[in-house]
Amino acid sequence: MSYEFRFLEDVALADIAFEAAGDSIEDLFQGATRALLETMADPQTVGASWNRRIVKMDAALDDLLVEWLSEIVYWKDAAGVVFHEAPLSLTHHNGRWKIEGSLIGAPVDHTLQTLRNDVKGITRHLYKVGQDGPLWKATVVVDV
Amino acid sequence: MQLNTGMKVNRITDEVWEIPTSEKSDMLVPARIYGTPGILQSMDQGVFDQVTNVACLPGIQRYALCMPDGHWGYGFPIGGVAAFDVREGVISPGGVGYDVNCGMRLIRTDLTLADVAPRLPRLMDELFRRVPAGVGAGGSVKLSRSDLNAVMVQGARWCVEQGYGWHRDLERSEEGGCIRVTDPSTVSDQAIGRGISQLGTLGSGNHYLEVQVVSNDRIFDPATAAALGISGQDQIVVMVHCGSRGFGHQVATDYLKVFAKAMRRYGISVKDQQLACAPFRSQEGQDYFAAMNCAANMAFANRQVITHHVREAFTAVFGPSAEELGMELVYDVAHNIAKIERYPEGELLVHRKGATRAFGPGSMELTPEFRETGQPVICGGSMETGSYLLVGTDRAVEETFGSTMHGSGRTMSRAQAKKQVRGEQLQQQMKQHGILVKAVSMSGLAEEAGFAYKNISDVVETVEGAGITKRVAELRPIGNIKG
Repeated sequence: MSYEFRFLEDVALADIAFEAAGDSIEDLFQGATRALLETMADPQTVGASWNRRIVKMDAALDDLLVEWLSEIVYWKDAAGVVFHEAPLSLTHHNGRWKIEGSLIGAPVDHTLQTLRNDVKGITRHLYKVGQDGPLWKATVVVDV
Repeated sequence: MQLNTGMKVNRITDEVWEIPTSEKSDMLVPARIYGTPGILQSMDQGVFDQVTNVACLPGIQRYALCMPDGHWGYGFPIGGVAAFDVREGVISPGGVGYDVNCGMRLIRTDLTLADVAPRLPRLMDELFRRVPAGVGAGGSVKLSRSDLNAVMVQGARWCVEQGYGWHRDLERSEEGGCIRVTDPSTVSDQAIGRGISQLGTLGSGNHYLEVQVVSNDRIFDPATAAALGISGQDQIVVMVHCGSRGFGHQVATDYLKVFAKAMRRYGISVKDQQLACAPFRSQEGQDYFAAMNCAANMAFANRQVITHHVREAFTAVFGPSAEELGMELVYDVAHNIAKIERYPEGELLVHRKGATRAFGPGSMELTPEFRETGQPVICGGSMETGSYLLVGTDRAVEETFGSTMHGSGRTMSRAQAKKQVRGEQLQQQMKQHGILVKAVSMSGLAEEAGFAYKNISDVVETVEGAGITKRVAELRPIGNIKG
């Protein structure tokens, strides 16, 4: 498993943009997931007292990544939690991609956690997912 | 003049610049940008690209407009204003913004800086404790599903009826704090799941609650200021900037997906997928309008509950009741919304995204209280500089579909701002300048540093020079709560 991500300085003036890359599509999803978790809070300061299993399917890989990241944003608001980690696996069967993942985190507590940005949504502005040489890459702009 | 665009930009006046329809294929109307030459030069390329994309949307009337605080946004630029014929035109979530009815609220007091300064740290602690802010913060008002339905339909009126505010607050809110065309059945379960615990919360990003002071030398129109309850004399006021939180964002996200499919059915093509739209009279268009209005009412209610907690905090620190402290609402105004309004062209759907309604004294849509002053316009600057209370003009109604600026506008990305200053360092610097800051997120604080924004005074002078808004008073921060 190998992924990386970096926040982009000149892409979203009022919001936050990141580029994630991975050796495989699954690695790319893990990189983008980690970037989103880091945008909201420092995962190292968040416990693991809450978890939720998520399964999503889509024929289009780029749509699936938006759906998955949006699901993380949804649970942040709906359950009032931030996240420690979100392990996932990705499979492709009968023309459809399937992601199975777990959101692991804890209720928001600003006395214990290093909180960052309240992400409101995953946008499709300048959004792209694709292969660049040996790497899979995605650019994502999140609305904060 | 060197601009961040290759398009031809013609000077109309010193504050108004026009890009003709010849500059991009499919432009139906010219694009007009408000700004001094200096402001125009500082605008990013996105403003020019996006405002001319908006000029291509079906049914657009007269001009696609951008205010002087404009910068790159999703689909429409921030600061964008566009009006569409209700019969032939479209509605677009990208023209409203994701944070539906993000807006400003200003509360006056009878307190002065001399009264507040000795107890400012305690006041800020009380405000920080009572007004939840930041990532995932839940509100103090626990709503059932049927309560949330009532909030979607009644907006701030529901809050007042539950004891969170005064009936006269509603008379001093745009639309009385309640937009009538709503239908909770058009709102998804996801939006409800995100919004049900967020009533009375600030959020993060550029949202804030600020304690401000109005000194005599910063009142520009004493008669209008007095009519709006602003006396100067180092008077303390409170400004609130927030919107419909995750609820409104989910509504926008849901309908962008619906509209992406609907556009194919209606044969509409747009130059940016974030400009997804549908004919206003279509089922999809009407559903979004109803859902957006539910979110707008959620935002009015959100600011109303926050107002209630602000009054409680002041009462806890300064003794008598909020009424005795003179904590009347000056005004509540939206800056992310689409509304049906009447202009010489007929009934138009006016989209304002990072732009404020600015009706002049002649507007019959204003309550009698504001028919002499014009509608109050509240514009927030960066947390280090200052903010403004202004009023709308009849010229705005004639020229800009009754619209003006909403804030100072960013010039630097969040990532760049964080590289230049740390949150703790900024908090200390601001304390030295007499501004106490309480923040949930120190990195979020650094992102909002004053140097990341345009000088709001330059922006305000532009709209005053253009005659679309008049300055009433400048408001200087002394305390700030950030998510």
